[in-house]
Amino acid sequence: MASHLSNGPVNLGVLRESYRRELLECLDKCTGSKALVWDDNLTGPIGLIAEYSLLKEHEVDKMFPLRPGRLQPSNVQNIIFICRPNLALMENIAQNVLKEEEMGGFRKDFHLFFVPRKSFLCEKALKDLGVYGTFTNVDEFCLDLIPFDGDVLSMEMDLSYRDCVLNDDWTSLYHAAKALMTLQALYGIIPNIQGKGPCAKHVVEMMLRMRREMAGQEPQIMAQIDHLLIIDRSTDPLTPLLSQLTYEGLIDEIFGINNTTVKLPGEKFAPQGKGGDEAAENITTTEPKKFILNSTEELFAELRDRNFNAVGPLLSRKAKLIAAQFDERHSAKTVGEIKQFVSKLPHMQAAKTSLATHTSIAELVKEETTKEEFMASLRAQQEFYGGMETDKAHPYIEDCIAKLEPLVKVLRLICIQCICNNGFKPKMLEFYKREILQTYGFEHLITLHNLEKAGLLKIQGARTYPTLRKTLKLIVEEVNEQNPNDISYVYSGYAPLSVRLAQIAHRPGWRSIHEALNLLPGPTIDEIQQIPMELRRRSQTGEQKVTLVFFLGGVTHAEIAALRFLSHQEDSPSEYIVATTKLITGDSWLKSIAENLSAKSYNPF
Amino acid sequence: CKVIDSYEEETMEARFGCLTSAQENFTKGKYEWAAKQTEEQIKLLRYQRRLEEEFSRAYLDLSLHETMRKLIAEGNTKVVEQMRKEFKVPDRRFWWLKVIAFSESGDFIELEKF
Repeated sequence: MASHLSNGPVNLGVLRESYRRELLECLDKCTGSKALVWDDNLTGPIGLIAEYSLLKEHEVDKMFPLRPGRLQPSNVQNIIFICRPNLALMENIAQNVLKEEEMGGFRKDFHLFFVPRKSFLCEKALKDLGVYGTFTNVDEFCLDLIPFDGDVLSMEMDLSYRDCVLNDDWTSLYHAAKALMTLQALYGIIPNIQGKGPCAKHVVEMMLRMRREMAGQEPQIMAQIDHLLIIDRSTDPLTPLLSQLTYEGLIDEIFGINNTTVKLPGEKFAPQGKGGDEAAENITTTEPKKFILNSTEELFAELRDRNFNAVGPLLSRKAKLIAAQFDERHSAKTVGEIKQFVSKLPHMQAAKTSLATHTSIAELVKEETTKEEFMASLRAQQEFYGGMETDKAHPYIEDCIAKLEPLVKVLRLICIQCICNNGFKPKMLEFYKREILQTYGFEHLITLHNLEKAGLLKIQGARTYPTLRKTLKLIVEEVNEQNPNDISYVYSGYAPLSVRLAQIAHRPGWRSIHEALNLLPGPTIDEIQQIPMELRRRSQTGEQKVTLVFFLGGVTHAEIAALRFLSHQEDSPSEYIVATTKLITGDSWLKSIAENLSAKSYNPF
Repeated sequence: CKVIDSYEEETMEARFGCLTSAQENFTKGKYEWAAKQTEEQIKLLRYQRRLEEEFSRAYLDLSLHETMRKLIAEGNTKVVEQMRKEFKVPDRRFWWLKVIAFSESGDFIELEKF
């Protein structure tokens, strides 16, 4: 279990282990049988920390989702609420508790655990609702960074970017700083810190202050991470808006990956060769099928970061390889040889199943990517980041609006164009905005306003994009999708700015791109944390350093792929681990910034 | 925010009230463009209400685009022409609108006319 966590640059299994211990300590505070009531946002992430069987060992009998109204009846001694410090949820909790009290019966103990931290406002809300006193325990479970894979950590706070840029609410940054402290407690103080952007600055400041407050009580642990790089999403809003073209990125864009799990339409994966009545078959096949995607699966580990155009050839190579392996049995003559063959069988069978699965997934993805809409949108994106005709209304965008294509797709394209054009002329911006209001409805006025506040839509300003494009070599003309030689393969020709920054930070260093950095918003941060000589990692020659790249405001799978690509380069100075507030796609990111409105059904009387 | 409120009001009059004060606030805050759009939204709501009375069909809270599409599909081209002028709908989109609306209503004779 969780073996995939320990094969990264540093063993993230240790982090998971420490969270597990903490969770169990929380549970063991309540003696007797328990029912857990979950905030929906947490079931997925915590599922990656502790499986149900483990909870069962600690007398958890029932699990419910947190809903308004009454709890399902159960005869447990403890009812434990586990939730995010979210005001809207407090009301549900209060209702649950009050209804349960009304019922009478034998007394139950109520407990409440906030993840990752208590909030004063929530506690106050509970007091106002008159239930705060009922709780035996109100405590916190400090689950900040959930390990997704051997080199990926996520806080799973989808509103982080929105809170920071729209509401000036920096709570998530505080959690991020705390999370970094947790990491440093487990993996040692990180000596070098670099960062870019206003939010990055806040996090670094908080982190340094927290360290000063701990003065002298630091755990004496050998530094395992050499470098911390904090990148604020606002320095690179363009990258997530573009369509990701890696295998994992495309799966996420098209079907959505949540907590390393993807749900796919069942038809493709139905066991073949089953006869019988069709009605029964329809029921089984319409159900979506779940797949867990992480590096435990050898084949997926190899496929995930490839450009999608390289996935087909690789799959067919693998298929031939497996067929050849199975054919070996004919050449096996002696008992010894046969024995050897048989011992390999389970592994080969697993490889075969996994190959079949990914061939089907790749087919599903291909169905989408060969659609005319996908190609047309990609062409428009390429024109934009190439800097062609960005100052006029783009006919493809106009057509998308007229055909009422999903609003989020339209907004993505417009924002890309806007960034690549360094903002629009007032007339252009108003034209697009008016088109959207007239076509999709007036209620989107607020979404548009949010996008402007977030800086994704703006009036033309200094011409920074062409300079950035040139100095950071964002556009690479000749991309080798099969055997890439540059990170730009993940977007077939565009190198993610964020990852370029990470690349240059090590070689030749940020000083070389001083001017470009000044064009990006927010301060540049360069700090050194002093650590005692004996805890410093002895850097043997040729050994790779370890860099933690923390993306505030979300990161895409394609960017992770680009960082992994850098790790695997032979002469690479560093290996990378990625941490983020949320794994995003352009769609999910824009939706988190947009406003969700629907008119109440109109009452004519 | 008054704009959000306007979607929560149940009666038509209250919604107009909300939008009008939103419009005033936009003007005060020097968001002329937003004020103008709010004005147009009020106009659209009035249109929709009148149309509902006239044809006794639901139009309310459709966007301008969808209102016009529905009207074309139902054969009310005259009102649409008027709305198109009043709201200054660009030609390119109007052309798409007609194509889609005619094909939806299966009006291939009109579609041929292009």
